Amino acid sequence: MSDFLNFDTLSLHAGQIVDPVFGARAAPIYQTTSYVFPDTDTASSIFNLERGGHAYSRITNPTVGVLEQRIAALEGGAAAVCTSSGMAATFCAITAILSQGDHIVASSQMYGGNISLMKNTLPRFGITTTFVDPTDSDAFRKAIQDNTKLIYGELIGNPGLDILDLEAIAKIGDDHHIPFMVDATFNTPYLCRCFDYGANITIHSVTKWMGGHGTAIGGVVVDGGNFDWGASDKYPTITEPYAPFSGINFWEEFGPSAFATRIRAEAMRDIGPMMAPMNAFLLLQGIETLSLRMDRHLSNTAAMLEYLQGHDQVSWVSHPSLPAHSSHELAKKYLPKGAGSIVSFGVKGGRDAGKAFIENTELASHLANVGDAKTLVIHPATTTHSRIDAEALVAAGITDDMIRLSVGLEDVKDIKADFELGLRAAKRISKA
Amino acid sequence: MYFEVNAKQVFATTGGKPFDNSKKVVLFLAGSALDHTFWGLHTRFFAFRNYSVLCVDTPGHTNSEGPALESIEALADWVNDVVESLEIKDLSIVGHSQGCLVALEYASRYPRRLRSLSLICSGLATPVNDYLLNAASENPSAAVDMMISWGFGGAGHLHQGPIPGNSMATGGYKTMWRNSPNGLAVDLKACNDYQNGKAAAGAIACPTQVIIAGKDRMAPAKATAALVAELQDPQVARIAESGHMLPLEAPDQCRALLRDFIFSNNPAS
Repeated sequence: MSDFLNFDTLSLHAGQIVDPVFGARAAPIYQTTSYVFPDTDTASSIFNLERGGHAYSRITNPTVGVLEQRIAALEGGAAAVCTSSGMAATFCAITAILSQGDHIVASSQMYGGNISLMKNTLPRFGITTTFVDPTDSDAFRKAIQDNTKLIYGELIGNPGLDILDLEAIAKIGDDHHIPFMVDATFNTPYLCRCFDYGANITIHSVTKWMGGHGTAIGGVVVDGGNFDWGASDKYPTITEPYAPFSGINFWEEFGPSAFATRIRAEAMRDIGPMMAPMNAFLLLQGIETLSLRMDRHLSNTAAMLEYLQGHDQVSWVSHPSLPAHSSHELAKKYLPKGAGSIVSFGVKGGRDAGKAFIENTELASHLANVGDAKTLVIHPATTTHSRIDAEALVAAGITDDMIRLSVGLEDVKDIKADFELGLRAAKRISKA
Repeated sequence: MYFEVNAKQVFATTGGKPFDNSKKVVLFLAGSALDHTFWGLHTRFFAFRNYSVLCVDTPGHTNSEGPALESIEALADWVNDVVESLEIKDLSIVGHSQGCLVALEYASRYPRRLRSLSLICSGLATPVNDYLLNAASENPSAAVDMMISWGFGGAGHLHQGPIPGNSMATGGYKTMWRNSPNGLAVDLKACNDYQNGKAAAGAIACPTQVIIAGKDRMAPAKATAALVAELQDPQVARIAESGHMLPLEAPDQCRALLRDFIFSNNPAS
């Protein structure tokens, strides 16, 4: 009976009001710092959050706003706030609700930047984290303390690719009245809408698959609008008057978008990690083809899994779509279209063979990114996760021989041919 | 703020200023299964212009103690209890959809303190089809889908919204879902059962304002025309591009219309 627009249509149209002056079909790039107010009453009412509107691009910008509303639409969230990077999104989201003395329970298998933020940076501000095995949902429950204010994890862990049991962990959050924040970068809303399974907030590095072309760095926080902040006194930043805005109470006045509004009112104003309008434009171009690209990422990934599993120079292959992967059943449940396009594999011969592989591929780019249209490879132990200690490396499931592959959109025959070059070089090293 | 009416806790936002019954009061009433957050782009405006704002959650909705009241007449009586308990003297009411039916009934029963009445997206009655009525209690997810789908015009379906970054449609969905199934089912039945709109409208003596949405699929032109016909010399405005959720879809135009009407008919001291 309802007539909601579907995912692919929203990818192209959501959030955009066609330019009323010139009729530009693409979202215009509003490369401006500030906006002329028609009168003083309008100006004061925008500053006082009485009405929507733009005052200064550190807080809001029309091009960025299109991207925010498009992502909110695709994710099923009540509101979104874009930031200069995924890490900025994570920092803003955490500090919107946690203060000195508060505690996080987080997955131990996450992007090195997330682990470093929680292990090294946030403790300087009095926020501590207990890391737990993401495959053991009950470990999240056991790690909860009286001062725990957040449960955090990546749906598809980086780089171990373990899948969080969203519903089980969301229930733990519900039981303890703690929001469940998910870094959904590796899945994108095309593969899984985490709010449908009880998550309350999602974070994306939109630099990755959402943008998809390796041209712009950006992040986003999406407010699921499904957490009852007022059910306890644990979250005063949301439920108590905020002096800088005439004592506004975000929960009372904004309800489902209270969390996002707090980020915009405080973090964007006082810290200022806004997304540049040009980046928002580039990321919008990527999102327009998100489903098409993800389907190709997935089909190429399936082909590469078959190739790697059959190669005598490859010691092991890990991907949640493989029956042997410990998260295979969860992947089928939460990621029925496919479990993403990151593959971990080991090259026979260990660290030196892995190095030889990476240095002898020509098409696959050796760089610190994932989710590009182009195929990427990296050695996590010496790069993305090099700043975390040996114990955390083990907890993150990272071994010396591990190669992280981000499968791109090239003709898969060419990717395989390129890998042959790398694996032959690795074989020479391992025999030497 | 929380206060007590008939020994039950009632929640209302006051637009960021403390409630003060010595001021002229603007009372906002939302539609079925919605709550105070529906009026977020209107309440602060009046509160910061020397009005006292009261944006209530009706019983059994969001922050107010239940159960939900089962008839428009009971809701009108409850509004009077709110007005009496807070000792409000000069009152303007702004209603949307079901809130209009409650406002109509209140205005006809309790005219003494009422200085102006603004009715947004409503007719004299709100018949609800059986499919939606049944879904509200048996399949609330489908019912909320229908309400949001029919309620919003094109901008809502494209997840646009007046607040940068916010999807007004999803925000509305989350609020309605929070008040389902009980609030939604009771509200829709109350709307469907209400028959006194014509008599109530004819009895209203205070200045009235009717704001119509050009793309309203829930209060279509025929229904709003019937309301306009029964009121005594209403001020009528039409916002062509908006759907039923007009205070969200066209907040700036809506606020300007309310401002001009309320400032004129119930001026702040």
